[in-house]
Amino acid sequence: MSGPDLSARFLGNAAAAAAGAHSVSGTGDLLAALGRIVPAGSPVYCPGLTELEKAAAPLFPNRVADCMAAEVTVEEVFGAIAETGTIVCVSEGGRAVQAGLLPAHHVAIVRRDRIFATLDDLLAAVAGAPPTNITLVTGPSRTADIELTLAIGVHGPERLDVIVA
Amino acid sequence: MRAQLFGTCLVDSFFPEVGEATVKLLRRFGVTVTFPKGQTCCGQPAYNVGYQAEARSVAGHFLSVFRGEDPIVTPSGSCAAMVKHHYPALFRDDPKMRAAAEQAAGRVFELSQFLVQVLRAHEKGFPGKGKVTYHSSCHLTRALGVLEEPLILLQSLRGAEFVPLPDAALCCGFGGMFMAKLPEISCALAEEKADSIVATGADTVTGCDAGCLMNISDAMKKRGSPVRVAHLASLLAEGI
Amino acid sequence: MSDAQTSLSFRSNAGKAVRNQKLRAAMKHAADTFGAKRIDAFAPVADVEAMRDRASAIREEVLKNLPRYVDQFVASATRAGATVHRAKDATVAKEIIRKILADRGARRIVKGKSMVSEEVDLNAHLEAAGMEVVETDLGEYIIQLEGEAPSHIIVPAIHKDRRQVGKLFSERLGVPYSDDPQVLTRTARKVLREKFLSADAGVSGANFAAADTGSLVLFTNEGNGRMVTTVPPLHVAILSIEKMIPSLADFPDFIRLLPRSATGQTITSYVSVITGPRKPGDATGAKELHIVLLDNGRTEILGGESRDILKCIRCGACMNVCPVYRTVGGHAYGWTYPGPMGLILTTLLTGMAKSHPVVDASTLCGACVDVCPVRVPLVDIILQLRRRKVREGFSDPKEKAGMALFGKVAASPALFALGQRLAGRFWPVVRVLGGKDVAGRMPAPAKTPFRRKAP
Repeated sequence: MSGPDLSARFLGNAAAAAAGAHSVSGTGDLLAALGRIVPAGSPVYCPGLTELEKAAAPLFPNRVADCMAAEVTVEEVFGAIAETGTIVCVSEGGRAVQAGLLPAHHVAIVRRDRIFATLDDLLAAVAGAPPTNITLVTGPSRTADIELTLAIGVHGPERLDVIVA
Repeated sequence: MRAQLFGTCLVDSFFPEVGEATVKLLRRFGVTVTFPKGQTCCGQPAYNVGYQAEARSVAGHFLSVFRGEDPIVTPSGSCAAMVKHHYPALFRDDPKMRAAAEQAAGRVFELSQFLVQVLRAHEKGFPGKGKVTYHSSCHLTRALGVLEEPLILLQSLRGAEFVPLPDAALCCGFGGMFMAKLPEISCALAEEKADSIVATGADTVTGCDAGCLMNISDAMKKRGSPVRVAHLASLLAEGI
Repeated sequence: MSDAQTSLSFRSNAGKAVRNQKLRAAMKHAADTFGAKRIDAFAPVADVEAMRDRASAIREEVLKNLPRYVDQFVASATRAGATVHRAKDATVAKEIIRKILADRGARRIVKGKSMVSEEVDLNAHLEAAGMEVVETDLGEYIIQLEGEAPSHIIVPAIHKDRRQVGKLFSERLGVPYSDDPQVLTRTARKVLREKFLSADAGVSGANFAAADTGSLVLFTNEGNGRMVTTVPPLHVAILSIEKMIPSLADFPDFIRLLPRSATGQTITSYVSVITGPRKPGDATGAKELHIVLLDNGRTEILGGESRDILKCIRCGACMNVCPVYRTVGGHAYGWTYPGPMGLILTTLLTGMAKSHPVVDASTLCGACVDVCPVRVPLVDIILQLRRRKVREGFSDPKEKAGMALFGKVAASPALFALGQRLAGRFWPVVRVLGGKDVAGRMPAPAKTPFRRKAP
């Protein structure tokens, strides 16, 4: 499967799991997309650890240092899985594992070349020496514990946006 | 062609008309039917609740009665599955009996299976009437793998309309001794099955196991339903 | 627990459940919903049968070499920085956990959903030691507020409708009444968020453990599993020994099978792989990780004829399709695990003397075998247990005498024919003796048995 197909498959499956699915080309395009996705003025946690995060950070005037205080987390994640529409968050490189969990809105940026076709490909890539925490995230937090009626945003985010960049 | 008929204890004692219909059907397709004397039961009542010695004794008797090479045909998916799958296991540690069990297992057929696979009875078709739905019994479908044969036969009923049963794969609650051990659950399941049957608007419900049909019939009677409950053998034989 | 239903009282529990129309409607709704979603979720998967074969083979390999995989897991997890404890039974496991928590002064405990912790009755033990234990899975939280046990392993509060939950929340949490699941969920989020942030420790279960890396793997939808395992400074995980999978690389098929079989989802919202506690350079995560491996009779089960039940991955698919479970619900089974796999585990883990009536809780229809993602021969095991029940003398004496008679009569054509004649003649009496539940549901015997008309 070629790059564009993988990206389309990932975004299609992410959308099917109730995530906002976006594709951008280039930094300018990414910043424009973030401008549309992130409500203006919200407290944003953007760790600024990667090039993409560094590029995005100045966009948020109300940037907070602690994800607990944020309403939105904007971060680049380890990768994605096309098969399931999943983003892959890992604790490597000093990344806060709860950043994508505590705020009500999680915006995950995935580099196009970090999309794995299948679960097998992803696990083969991490199985040798796994970091402390790997979390596969597919869609927003959900429950059907009351009468099997779907409710969104239990303990994790009620809104998840994925951006392929 | 010759075949040995295993009537089953339920048909023998409670539903002789199903046995007679089976004979009529088999003869219609040129089968010489024998009824091995001394046959009783396949042993499931004991086997299914864990009475291994008693089940073995009854199974041993069955094997002593059903000898020879002719196919064994029975109007019950459950009893056929018992012979086919559980007899060899019952005599696992007895080489001589095990050989007899495997020999019998290799030639046992449930009636609809025999009619379609061996006699190709559906090709000629049967006269039929009304609106018919069908309950697929659990042992027939899951243990014996007979899913299509009864449907093929029902679709060959000329003049009858076949309507599929919703949740057809759900157990009717009979379960042999289960109906006696946990009657409330058994009745509740039969009621649920009766609901599905009534919802189809069929005037007849049919099936391949007298036990399930007996349980369903009771639930239909309790609600005063006019829907007729008839074994597939009876339904097919009445037009010929 | 608000009711005294035990496995020994299964028959009367079931009778009560059958008459509870509200419960039956909820159970039917759940069974139908999960059944349909499961079928839809598997529909687009190419070669499901081969996938089930592979998963079954991996589980079989684990059982064949379980002690070796457990040892390997202990070594790997220890290398990753976790402290692993082995508990031979429930009492030991509870005490290990209490001591870990007490030694660190932990008072406020948040819990993720764990059937193994229900199996050992952990909450009561910790509460008796003065700790506050809060279940954080929404369903578990609801039944904890109500003082009940789970009725379903995936959807613990399946027996409660939205109005009951609304009433419970308004009474116990002092919030305005609402029966909107989204509003109720938001209430739980708010209440439980405070609990997470102030907790001294998190206690979770695990769906699987990878022997080669020492990782724990958890499947959740709500995110409470992620909270419990990463927010408090101390994380204690309890799991039973058979949850081993040889390698992290073996997981794709289990990730594909478990959510589809359980809830009809392609994948759960979250799948967490946790390998050891926070390490130098990690920004967050529990500073200390303790893993309690529970045996509680499993090594003995492994040596017996019913060992294949240990392949089970607790998806609950067998429960959702079981005609008995969908009619009576989980509480009637009287212990932690309901449904086909549950009645087997109940019998094997608590002993025949405490559980023998639940081995009757199957029509042997085989629907469970059709859906089991790892091909546990559930019907064969139920038959094994019924034979054991008879062998060990737990069957009803009247039934035993009746079966002895059946064994003789049905093996003798003369006696069988005599029995038929007697039953025919005395049917009105049989009907009265057999009661409306049994003989009352059968037609009268035929005047002339088929054998006398047969060719």
